[in-house]
Amino acid sequence: MITLNNVYKRLSDFNLKNINLNINDNEYFVILGPTGAGKTVILEIISGMYKPDKGEVWLNDCNVTSKSPEERNIGFVYQDYMLFPNLDVQGNIVFALKLKKVPAKIINQKLKQITELLNIDNLLKRHPLTLSGGEQQRVALARALVTEPEVLLLDEPLSALDPRSKELFQQELKSIHQQVKTTTIHITHDFNEAFVLADRVGIMKDGEIVEIGTPQEVFQKPNSKFVAEFVGMENIYSGELINGENGPHVNIGQVSISVVSELEGKVQFAIRPEDIIITREKFSSSARNMLDVQIIKILPQGAFVKLILDAGIPLVVLVTKQAVEEMQLETGQKAFAVFKASAVHVFKKPQ
Amino acid sequence: MNLNHNSDAYNKIAIKKYSNAISNKVFQGFIVLVTLVLFLFFLTALGNIVWKGLGGILESISGEEIQFAIRLSILTSITSTFICLAFAIPVAYGLERFKIPGRKIINVVLNIPISLPPLVSGVALLLLFATTPFGAILAERGLNFVFSVNGIILAQFFIITPYMIRILQTAFAEIDPRLEFVARTLGCTQWQAFYKITLPNAKNGIIAGLVISWSRAIGEFGCTLMVAGATRMVTETLPVALYLNMSIGNLETAMGAATCLIVISIISLFIFELVGGRNTQASRIS
Repeated sequence: MITLNNVYKRLSDFNLKNINLNINDNEYFVILGPTGAGKTVILEIISGMYKPDKGEVWLNDCNVTSKSPEERNIGFVYQDYMLFPNLDVQGNIVFALKLKKVPAKIINQKLKQITELLNIDNLLKRHPLTLSGGEQQRVALARALVTEPEVLLLDEPLSALDPRSKELFQQELKSIHQQVKTTTIHITHDFNEAFVLADRVGIMKDGEIVEIGTPQEVFQKPNSKFVAEFVGMENIYSGELINGENGPHVNIGQVSISVVSELEGKVQFAIRPEDIIITREKFSSSARNMLDVQIIKILPQGAFVKLILDAGIPLVVLVTKQAVEEMQLETGQKAFAVFKASAVHVFKKPQ
Repeated sequence: MNLNHNSDAYNKIAIKKYSNAISNKVFQGFIVLVTLVLFLFFLTALGNIVWKGLGGILESISGEEIQFAIRLSILTSITSTFICLAFAIPVAYGLERFKIPGRKIINVVLNIPISLPPLVSGVALLLLFATTPFGAILAERGLNFVFSVNGIILAQFFIITPYMIRILQTAFAEIDPRLEFVARTLGCTQWQAFYKITLPNAKNGIIAGLVISWSRAIGEFGCTLMVAGATRMVTETLPVALYLNMSIGNLETAMGAATCLIVISIISLFIFELVGGRNTQASRIS
């Protein structure tokens, strides 16, 4: 279990503000945020590279705030691996065990175990700098895991890999975690990683954690415009929420959109492009919103097509290629955009 | 018309290109020429002395005086180089990694002997050890530096340490501090991380530092002259032997000493290049 209580840290280029985290045993927690949000600093504080200016760090009911890194029993894997260039792969992996004077027999057992788990048993005599990025990453992970750390900290472990290795290694990280169950914090700026790997995700912005939840929660119910944008929402608007006779709705210019929300007054709201249905004919359904739209642009994007619509407000909709072909959609056509009131995510407008 | 106009412009461009090419050739030729002139000048000067020295080198090396000078030079330079290393490693590491208050000032002071004429360094050391209670106390304890072999080692140490510190600082700077940090998460104390990770990875820098410092120590003259004096068969290192024999017109022996020094510097330069000194800032310093 990892607990951060009101942690503050001012560095020359980063500034952590009031970080509160509770990460459960065996949890895979992903910290997600854009570059420069201070994600790595959180890891460096947990591991003891920096002392927080204020606040406390607890690892498994033990206050480690002023303990040195070597007393914390932490595994740390940097984005650029940081393998020791003066040792071969085996030397890197058994470094900690040798340091602790573990008997040779046990060292060999553990070495065998971990290298088989990570599929690197054929690399043992190689020099780190001759390995590919993915191989170096495995060695770095093996070096961290072989000590059986209480906590595993991964600093953007996938971002330096090519797309194919990235996908493979992502799956492997997941299965490794299912086997070793080490409490893990994983830093990334890629929402897909969070979605695949995380039990819970914390979103960071400018040195603060702005939302914590399961990936589904964060993805489906972002609590701010920032989070919405970050997890890939495209239709984000500001408007006024009025709780009228027909239930709550937001007015934005001429357009009125039904929503489900308890907020009032000035709000922001967002609609996922894939949650909107396009139809040429009016039809009645349980969906509360049906807007008159005109197709402005049709942008093919692989298997999907992105439609830019004018509904009085600009609207982005994602549909399949087949749908466009079957409906014979063309630029300039009129159509209707249909979506449920519950597909509109409303959040408070930041002051 | 239009066509003509175009081909006119085309010609102009072609001429411009042509004159550009000539100008480039002239520039390249100039660079090559200057390099060649300087190279020949150095080669002649050094070659001449080696050529003349080599003839009588066996005779002069077998002479008692040069033998003494070689032995003394090697003894003192190796001693001073290792004492220097013992100081330079912690200092260079500290200046590179720790936020020591007054770091810049410390750096400047430690670098002064690089820009100072060695004679001035020698006078400074002589005054400190010959005229202050500090020197007197050391002398009482049997550590006399003035006009003695100890003085040679002291002088060499003073001159070479700044170089060693600079080379090692560069070497440590090239080692990512996060390597040490990872080592610490794996259970190392600060000392263990330094000793098991940083030091082995600074190996080439340390060898380069040793070679450069050693070859400087063996050639050290001005500072040695002030502190240890130039007494024949007592504080007579190779450069001192060269100086003493030149001044009494004994050219043969002088050139024997000079040839020894040139051979030593060529060998050390070779080793330095071999351990990748090319990549360290040291190659620019030396």
